[in-house]
Amino acid sequence: MIDANLMIENFPSFLGGGSGQAVLSTSDGLILTLELLFYSLLGGLALSIPLGLMRVSRNRLVSGAVWLYTYVFRGTPMLVQLFIIYYGLSQFEAVRESWAWTYLQEAYFCALLAFTLNTAAYTTEIIAGQIRNTHWGEIEAAKAMGMSKWLMMRRIVIPAALRRALPAYSNEVVMMLQGTSIAGLVTLADVTGVARRIYSDTYMPFEPFLMAGLIYLAFTFLFVWLFKLAEKRWLAYLAPRKH
Amino acid sequence: MKPIEHPNATSTGLDSQVKLHVADIHKSYGSHEVLKGVSLTAHAGDVISIIGSSGSGKSTFLRCINLLEQPNSGKIFAAGEELQLVPDSRHGALKAGDTKQLARLRTKLAMVFQHFNLWAHMTVLENIIEAPVHVLGVPKDEAIARARKYLEKVGLKNVEDKYPSHMSGGQQQRVAIARALAMEPEVMLFDEPTSALDPELVGEVLRVMQDLAREGRTMVVVTHEMGFAREVSNHVIFLHQGRIEEQGNPKEVLVNPKSERLAQFLSGSLK
Repeated sequence: MIDANLMIENFPSFLGGGSGQAVLSTSDGLILTLELLFYSLLGGLALSIPLGLMRVSRNRLVSGAVWLYTYVFRGTPMLVQLFIIYYGLSQFEAVRESWAWTYLQEAYFCALLAFTLNTAAYTTEIIAGQIRNTHWGEIEAAKAMGMSKWLMMRRIVIPAALRRALPAYSNEVVMMLQGTSIAGLVTLADVTGVARRIYSDTYMPFEPFLMAGLIYLAFTFLFVWLFKLAEKRWLAYLAPRKH
Repeated sequence: MKPIEHPNATSTGLDSQVKLHVADIHKSYGSHEVLKGVSLTAHAGDVISIIGSSGSGKSTFLRCINLLEQPNSGKIFAAGEELQLVPDSRHGALKAGDTKQLARLRTKLAMVFQHFNLWAHMTVLENIIEAPVHVLGVPKDEAIARARKYLEKVGLKNVEDKYPSHMSGGQQQRVAIARALAMEPEVMLFDEPTSALDPELVGEVLRVMQDLAREGRTMVVVTHEMGFAREVSNHVIFLHQGRIEEQGNPKEVLVNPKSERLAQFLSGSLK
């Protein structure tokens, strides 16, 4: 039987609260999951636009370097990347003595770094693909109007590529939401981490993980819906005519 | 189509203003020479039609004028300057020596394409104000006023917020013409503007072009429309295998062709 009381009692801790604490008071649980998700998506997107442009560069060295990066980060599990950054790097004395150690000894920072680099790799390929898909006629029109290469990129190529990237990017966002669940494996108490803690406190596995699953499900639904709205707004030109 | 009186048609003397002069353009793709020395001079108000069978090099020639194709040799003068051309190390053709100058000249040689080439993610209004605002630096409200003026000129109403993909080909091409007009160019280049249109939509685009010609706009038009070449243009150039086979006043050239090839070409086209 499912113990509904256990779920209800522990619900606040999923949101970052706890016994005697106000709900949402700490960076735990849901707040931590969303923080990791949004900061890594933000950083990943910011990195992926210049990287996407470099990926389609005619300079083989530039595009090759970006290809290697995306190949490595798409070709290995995010969990392995997180472990290498969090556990692996500390093995080197040079790392421990460098300025970066202040950050690299923090699980939170390591998770953010791994997630950002991972999503940036996938998003770079999504954006590069859409930049390549730009209709050549639109490029010619931009040139014929006297646009410089950068103006054309800024005004025509990138805005159109980002719009067309929306459907694929909404997948990436949903995948990243689920992906953040590995943060618990490096001591962080994200939604899955909280579920594991409750499990180890109560020896009841089903209820906490069901609760965690429902939370992910609800946010997946929310994100998919938000992206549908965004597509309606920014991809209207690809939709069939309404009348 | 009614014949058009050209203000400058007869005054080709020294006083007339040369808007565009292209001299001795050669262009090869590998060992295949597509253009073997083609020249053209457009004075203010000239409407020059370039005709010829497909593969004659007429579109390539037009695209060399604003350097969408890189010629192998030749000179281009537009809006009072000579375009600086230097060898392109990548494939031996010529490229602009000064990209800023090329950009400046391109703003004065607006182009209308066969496939319209409107920016799909922008509305009609955004398409038209884009280059005036971001290339010419026209204030946005002024650019919008300009856009509305030219939309009216091409006979389009209530389309400002539409996306190109939601319009007919004829409407899209008229938007593309309004977009070119909004640059207030010295010369307008038309690259087979009606070839991609359904037959019943050709007329609306040709009528707009005829109006522009009547206003005294300088136009160079690559076309298959013999009616347009005969009635609207004041000069016609027949290209054959990369050379000018025959040129002159359309009333003479198209009615009594001297060259056998032009006679053949004309008998092949129904009008």
